[in-house]
Amino acid sequence: MIPSAKAKHGPAARERRLLALGRKMVRDSDAEETEVLLADGREFLTRFAAGAIHQNVGAEEAAAVVRAVVDRRVGVATADSLEADALDSARASALAIAEAADPDPHWPGLPKARPVKPVKAYDAATAAADAKARADFAAGIIAAARERDGEAAGIVQTEEGTLAVVNSRGVAVAYSHTRAEANALVTCGDGSGWAEAVAVRLSDLDADRLGRRAALTAEKSRNPRPLAPGTYDVVLEPSAVGEWLQDLAFVAFSGKDVAEGRSPLAGRLGQVVTGEQVTVWDNARDRRTLLQPFDYEGQPARRLSLIKGGVAEAVATNHYRARRMGRRVSTGHALPASSPQECMPMHLFMKGGRSSAKQLVGEMKRGLLVTRFHYTNVLDPMETVLTGMTRDGTFLVEDGRIVHAVRNLRYTENVLAALGRIDGASKRLTRVPGPCVVPTVRVRDVRFSGATEF
Amino acid sequence: MDDLLERTVGLMEQAGASYGDVRLRRDRTERLSVQNGRPEHVARSASAGIGVRVLVDGAWGFFGTHRLQDAAVEEAVRQAVDIAQASAAAQTEPVRLAPLEPATDTYETPHTRDPLAVALEEKLDLLVRATEAMAGPNVRLAQAFFSAFDTRQQFASTEGSRIAQHIVQTGGGIAATCIADGRLQVRSYPNSFRGNFATGGYEYVEAMDLAGEAPRVAEEAQALLAAPPCPAGRRTVILDGGQLALQVHESCGHPIELDRVLGMEIAFAGDSFLTLDKLDTFRYGSERVNIAADATCPGGLGTFGYDDEGVPAQKTPIVEAGRLVGYLSSRETAPAIGRPSSGTMRASGWNRIPLIRMTNVNLLPGDAGSLDDLVADTDDGLLMMTNRSWSIDNKRLNFQFGTEMCREIRSGRLGQVYRDATYTGLTPEFWASCDAVCGPEAWSLWGTPNCGKGQPGQTARVGHGVAPARFRNVQVGVKA
Repeated sequence: MIPSAKAKHGPAARERRLLALGRKMVRDSDAEETEVLLADGREFLTRFAAGAIHQNVGAEEAAAVVRAVVDRRVGVATADSLEADALDSARASALAIAEAADPDPHWPGLPKARPVKPVKAYDAATAAADAKARADFAAGIIAAARERDGEAAGIVQTEEGTLAVVNSRGVAVAYSHTRAEANALVTCGDGSGWAEAVAVRLSDLDADRLGRRAALTAEKSRNPRPLAPGTYDVVLEPSAVGEWLQDLAFVAFSGKDVAEGRSPLAGRLGQVVTGEQVTVWDNARDRRTLLQPFDYEGQPARRLSLIKGGVAEAVATNHYRARRMGRRVSTGHALPASSPQECMPMHLFMKGGRSSAKQLVGEMKRGLLVTRFHYTNVLDPMETVLTGMTRDGTFLVEDGRIVHAVRNLRYTENVLAALGRIDGASKRLTRVPGPCVVPTVRVRDVRFSGATEF
Repeated sequence: MDDLLERTVGLMEQAGASYGDVRLRRDRTERLSVQNGRPEHVARSASAGIGVRVLVDGAWGFFGTHRLQDAAVEEAVRQAVDIAQASAAAQTEPVRLAPLEPATDTYETPHTRDPLAVALEEKLDLLVRATEAMAGPNVRLAQAFFSAFDTRQQFASTEGSRIAQHIVQTGGGIAATCIADGRLQVRSYPNSFRGNFATGGYEYVEAMDLAGEAPRVAEEAQALLAAPPCPAGRRTVILDGGQLALQVHESCGHPIELDRVLGMEIAFAGDSFLTLDKLDTFRYGSERVNIAADATCPGGLGTFGYDDEGVPAQKTPIVEAGRLVGYLSSRETAPAIGRPSSGTMRASGWNRIPLIRMTNVNLLPGDAGSLDDLVADTDDGLLMMTNRSWSIDNKRLNFQFGTEMCREIRSGRLGQVYRDATYTGLTPEFWASCDAVCGPEAWSLWGTPNCGKGQPGQTARVGHGVAPARFRNVQVGVKA
């Protein structure tokens, strides 16, 4: 954002403009019900590797998602533009699709307006960060890595965006956000380490800290030794915990999947599904995550308890799914109408414990310390069996001390069951990209089914 | 619109770019899902914008905008140049591009029926009939899918290339999901995850005969519910086309991307075990293994006329008689191996820079006849069919795949059905164990429409031609 143009093009002006556009589209629509989701923003990403910037990109992007309803028949069309022609075309296309579709006897109508409290999710300085600021940040990571003879790769990303949702039942909400994300993968010979951070403000990220942290892990992970696959107690750092939690959300926490019987929580709400030490919730209004005041149907975000003390309490819904499940309103987790997935919790939290990460390692007789996972995928959704690799720092711990790095291992594990074997968690919660806010945890008896050569 | 391109080229030259290119791209897509006899999701999208890429002081800058007015394009060039100058400040070696003869040309995907022009009612009717034909006692979800992608792109570079392309890609498929006693089994046709995809028109989906295949798919899904799990052990394995295509994709296609090999992707998807010192010497697989990257093969999902740097589509040998002989490259990376670009740079849209992407990375046919012939030639083994899950390490060595269905092979005949089959291994060992590849009669193209790479993330549509193949001594049956 050019500072002098702030008043004219700042977030408040953009919100007003998108709301006005949305209202006009709804007003001009020939459908019985119309919902318009409009987004406008800019994203910049600087990528570096081998100590130099090798990709450096920016884009200004817009999106419109139109949902039109006629006689309970629903059509959706999208356009990556806010130009009048493109919006008219999307609106006409959505209507044409609706007219060609079969009626949905379960269609509950679009959701009504509900009060939405604003959030502070926008930082003007992050929106204004230029290519030099990102290059300087990258240089900070590179320099910190080189102090420990490491070579850094990673990203520095800044973005700003505005989202508005308007519908024919009175919903008309908008908000603006910024987001800054950076990560560092540092290699020291055959060792590698990782650090990452995400925030509303670029100024909340610390290049030197990221570079140093990744370099320290890289230094320690040199000369990894082979370790036989098997069952090990494991301390998982927050990046690894976040990956498991997001995959669990993907297979388990969608109301649509529960209704269709393909979630492991189908028919099990109210039942014990994992250990009592496991409490997971979603809250887009918690200042520890990246704030979002409403979902993609314009319904207010609110805290949703997913698993409490090991008991499955609820799953995420949009308006359609909530009504089909007999609820009056949704949980505020709608995805855009263009997404067949319908609903998903996107701001996950996991309850911490009483330890520190250092204590968790220090109390371990024999086990592994895992920095993060790579390429996790679902083997069996009903059993929540995931497989993936460790990477960027996997260590053997004996008698509470790291004894040496080990070559990366493949785990194949029922994650809901594994979470039930958590026997310690850090008090401190860490925000990792996703976003997820999670502790470091120690899990007993994690199954490692294979190993690689590095 | 030609004026806008020429004006952009002029602006890049005026700004001091030693090289610049601009892509004006319009995408239209349609995605249809039918579930249990009624349309569940019907969505169309349209996107148009311009992407400007410049080399200034030996460094890259890129900016994309959805606004197609003169002022917006001027701003895009200014942004791209500013970004390039910031890149240059943290540059160790200036970017040098492999030479390229400028081209002025047009290309269009051969197709008979424009998939977006076919009436929505006709397409939905085809899908509805397919799901109705999958009805059965435990079939909880009978789903049918259709997707179409229409891309029109104009490319211009400061070197003088002017290329217009129209790429049409179409796909479809069916899936039966059976759920009982807490178990879920899915059987798909012709491939999992929304079916199979190709460059071509609606005729590609019509030829699938989705409704005709639907009863078999539903029966197999129900058989899987009752089937025992695949036993663990070291076994001889035959992979069918759909699974083998993904095996090629993950264990060959990605590690031969030269940007990965050079470390450019290390912080995200990873690098590659196929380091530069291995070129022309490394034994990637057995002598039965021959792989080529071919952007020219008719119908391949990764088939086009020119890549997004204006390099003509071509066929590049990758593995010959088991030996690594080539990489997928770009104009920037090709000098590292002393060769011209292999023409694989593609962007997912106007708002993304081109990256090295698979074209059609094909396992060339062997001499083992049909799949039936290969099964008949196998005394004791397993036939694994249709991908269900995948995972591979960040150098592309240790992999694990799951398949929808598995059949026991005894004395050359198919027997017991197994569910939840998985296999795992290390890439060079696995390909070294390949002792038979079926012949041209069994060779077909598979489309992978969801290949993720890069930051910001990009999804590419790529292809793999394969014939079923046999592998010895494979670890099977990994379970939590």
